[in-house]
Amino acid sequence: MWKTILRRILIMIPEIIILSILVFLLAKAMPGDPFTGSINPKADPAQLHHLMKINGLYDPWYQQYWNWVVHLFHGNLGNSYQYQEPVTRLIGGRAINTLWLALFTTILTYCIALPMGMYAAKHEGKLPDSIIRVYTYVTFCIPFFVILVIGVWIFGFVLGWFPTTGSISSTATPGIQSVGSRIYHILLPGILGALFGTVNVVQYLRSEVIDAKRSDYVRTARSKGVPEKDIYKHHIFRNSLLPIAAFAGYSITGLLNGSLFTETVFSYPGMGLLFINSISYRDYTVITALVLIYGILNLLGTLLSDIILSIVDPRIRIQ
Amino acid sequence: MEENLNKHSNISAADLDRLTKEASEEATPSSAKIIWNEFKADKPAMGALIIVIGFILFVMIAALFINTPKMMETNIMNYNAAPGSNGFLFGADTGGRSVGQQLIVGARNSIGIAIGLTLISSTFGICWGLISGYFNGYIDWGMQRVYDFMMMLPMTMMIIVLVTIIKNYNAVTLTFIFSIFYWEGTSRLIRSRTLSESEKDYVAAAKTSGTSNFKIIFKEIMPNISSLIIVDTTLSFAENIGVETGLSYLGFGLPIQTPSLGTLIANANDPNNITQYWWTWLPAAILIIILCLSISYIGQVVRRSADASQRHGITD
Amino acid sequence: MSLIEIKDLKVHYPIRSGFWNRVTDSVKAVDGISFNIEAGETYGLVGESGSGKSTTGKSVVGLEKVTSGSIMYKGKDITKKSNRNHLDYNHDVQMIFQDSLSSLNPRKRIEDIIAEPLRNFEHLSKDDEKLRVLQLLDIVGLDADALYKYPHQFSGGQRQRIGVARAVATNPKLIIADEPVSALDLSVQAQVLNFMKKIQREFGISYLFISHDLGVVRHMCNNIAIMNRGRLVEIGTRDDIYNHPLHIYTKRLLAAIPETNVSQRKAHREARLAVEQVYREQQDKYYDEHGDAYPLVQVSPTHAVALPEALAQQIVQEGEVKA
Repeated sequence: MWKTILRRILIMIPEIIILSILVFLLAKAMPGDPFTGSINPKADPAQLHHLMKINGLYDPWYQQYWNWVVHLFHGNLGNSYQYQEPVTRLIGGRAINTLWLALFTTILTYCIALPMGMYAAKHEGKLPDSIIRVYTYVTFCIPFFVILVIGVWIFGFVLGWFPTTGSISSTATPGIQSVGSRIYHILLPGILGALFGTVNVVQYLRSEVIDAKRSDYVRTARSKGVPEKDIYKHHIFRNSLLPIAAFAGYSITGLLNGSLFTETVFSYPGMGLLFINSISYRDYTVITALVLIYGILNLLGTLLSDIILSIVDPRIRIQ
Repeated sequence: MEENLNKHSNISAADLDRLTKEASEEATPSSAKIIWNEFKADKPAMGALIIVIGFILFVMIAALFINTPKMMETNIMNYNAAPGSNGFLFGADTGGRSVGQQLIVGARNSIGIAIGLTLISSTFGICWGLISGYFNGYIDWGMQRVYDFMMMLPMTMMIIVLVTIIKNYNAVTLTFIFSIFYWEGTSRLIRSRTLSESEKDYVAAAKTSGTSNFKIIFKEIMPNISSLIIVDTTLSFAENIGVETGLSYLGFGLPIQTPSLGTLIANANDPNNITQYWWTWLPAAILIIILCLSISYIGQVVRRSADASQRHGITD
Repeated sequence: MSLIEIKDLKVHYPIRSGFWNRVTDSVKAVDGISFNIEAGETYGLVGESGSGKSTTGKSVVGLEKVTSGSIMYKGKDITKKSNRNHLDYNHDVQMIFQDSLSSLNPRKRIEDIIAEPLRNFEHLSKDDEKLRVLQLLDIVGLDADALYKYPHQFSGGQRQRIGVARAVATNPKLIIADEPVSALDLSVQAQVLNFMKKIQREFGISYLFISHDLGVVRHMCNNIAIMNRGRLVEIGTRDDIYNHPLHIYTKRLLAAIPETNVSQRKAHREARLAVEQVYREQQDKYYDEHGDAYPLVQVSPTHAVALPEALAQQIVQEGEVKA
């Protein structure tokens, strides 16, 4: 077991190195530089030249890359040219916002999806099952950003139930009020994300439970006279729980990808919005750091899921 | 061999036509025909098919009659004209440009890119999955590592970075950039099915019959997973409409002068537009929803016909 | 000269384990076997499941990657792919599979299935090809109606006939029949076996007949090899194996053939128990310290057994005394 995990992590290292080189080169290839126009529109070319030089932007790429990696291991991702502040601190602040939103969405997704999957499986082939199937399929095939825009329009602007920008109200005082305000701000994007992200869990749980229902051990339990409710609770549900938990890891990719859209629509100051803003300012240090972080998080998510699944089912342990 | 056969069989060249005719009368319908029967039996599915094909044809043809540069000219006189006013059936946007015309051209562009993306990425993903699944060993191992690496990349971010790097891109370059990142799902699906198909004896029989690996992959195995391929391609098409429109919405898809359903929805980013001038973005949003729903409904019907036990249509 | 000469054939599958995933051990599916198949004969290869007999068959037809050893055909070692391609080897050596459903591509019509080897090896005109397929169908006893149908529309016996038609399409010299009837009903088994024999007579084909069923093998084969744990334990003619078995494993297999004569059932049962008793007591005499079979020793011109020389002679003498 530990060997498997360790080997997986070893395989990850070259992947991360290739990603970091790729990201670094791509960021270098982006047109423009972070200084032109950001200091003073009429900046002296000589001064600009000097700025480029002291920032090492004229060095050959491998030397710049090497410097970047060395700094990386010292926990120094450089300074954001746009915000004039260390990238680590900048991203740190934004990451917390993204994390809260992602966590809230995930928990809510499971709260909606688990009962739905169980209910659909219990009433397999009947009306509730069909309704849930139509629901998951409709939510699955509509592009998420369209939902966000329509959601913010109806519930944010027309009905005015939820805030439409930011992560916290500017008037909130520290303490309980600020926590309340934060939760209030992630409520709508979280609910929309959860309502439209159930399809995997619902379909998986449904088919698992239907399989279990037909299996011999459940039939035995039933013939022994175990009450229907207990069969579902103790026998079926418990067996399906771990694979379902494994979905959380895989869903990180989707959540991160979605964060670009969610945070843009809601002007929510997380990593996704930071990325979109940094692109327009050619803020290399921030862009490279964010792509790298997203890539590593994707990797860790898959790793987590693979580990959970290999605990559940020794057959799929990675060779 | 020939004398041998003639000696032991009563059939000779003279019987060929008669027997061929007899056999064709007993022939079994092909799977394309089965799918078609399924559509004929399912009225809503037929409706969805007609809506999708009809709509695609309509925008493709109608867009030919619209002069895009002229349409995209700003006209302050028509600033946010309401639907029905100033001769605009669907109203006009902040630049005084006709929303109706932009919808047609935008839908043409978005659907065109989605079709291109689906064709390229599915073809690539199918070939990748088939080859990876069929050749076990080092080829598969290497291809799997590439797949793992691609899965790790944050797709949307990478596309945005690439779009910023390439200075003069158009719909075609954009389609290719998207294709780099959207073949993985298909390839994994196809690979796992190919793995189990390759184990079957008919593949071994084809090998001993002297059929080449290339032919075995594409002529023996591929037909056996064709229903999976059709279903996956249809569903990818629905999904891919969201890819371009999503990026255009963020401002990194098609250039601003080229309307797309995504750039239209991006009008909603302006707080005034989203509430007061809803006609600038809502029709595009609704159009995307209807398109995606119809296409995936078609996908569901194809899936059902692939699964013989759930068929509605009569197949014999 | 024999049609096929198999020499010291080994097929090992590596077992990878440990942190670096290195090859640490191997499964010896086939571990050094040698035998010859003569033109026009049916050679039986018998053993329990997992004994490596199917792997041997697949190696002979060129489906399995061979670890070492050689399979000579027309003076060339066909374990090398280049030699197989050069000889158009599969034009002459074909295979009939155990699972008739899985061995016929479900998405292809019968015409295309039977014509597949013809298209690859003979390049006939469209009409000639169709005529050939119709004749083949006629030979295996199927109507021309079958031409444009799919495999799932036929019964197991009919499907196995289609498999045979495909295998004989190019008029091969040797057909590997891997348990061709074990998935069929008993009544259908006899039908299929009889027309396999008929085809052999008419076309002069050799069979390598792989089976676990000594009853069926007796009906089909002139020469028989008994396989156990990847090695041959006994080779001989039908008479050698059925009437003078030497190795304990052969005796066990023979004892396991069900007795249809009810009145002798009790005697049969006692004989079986006696063999079982000997097997338990003398197991280590018949196998070496690793539990593998010994190398073969010749006890008569046709008969060889995998035992140490002295023991083999002893058993032969005992047998003669009894007789």
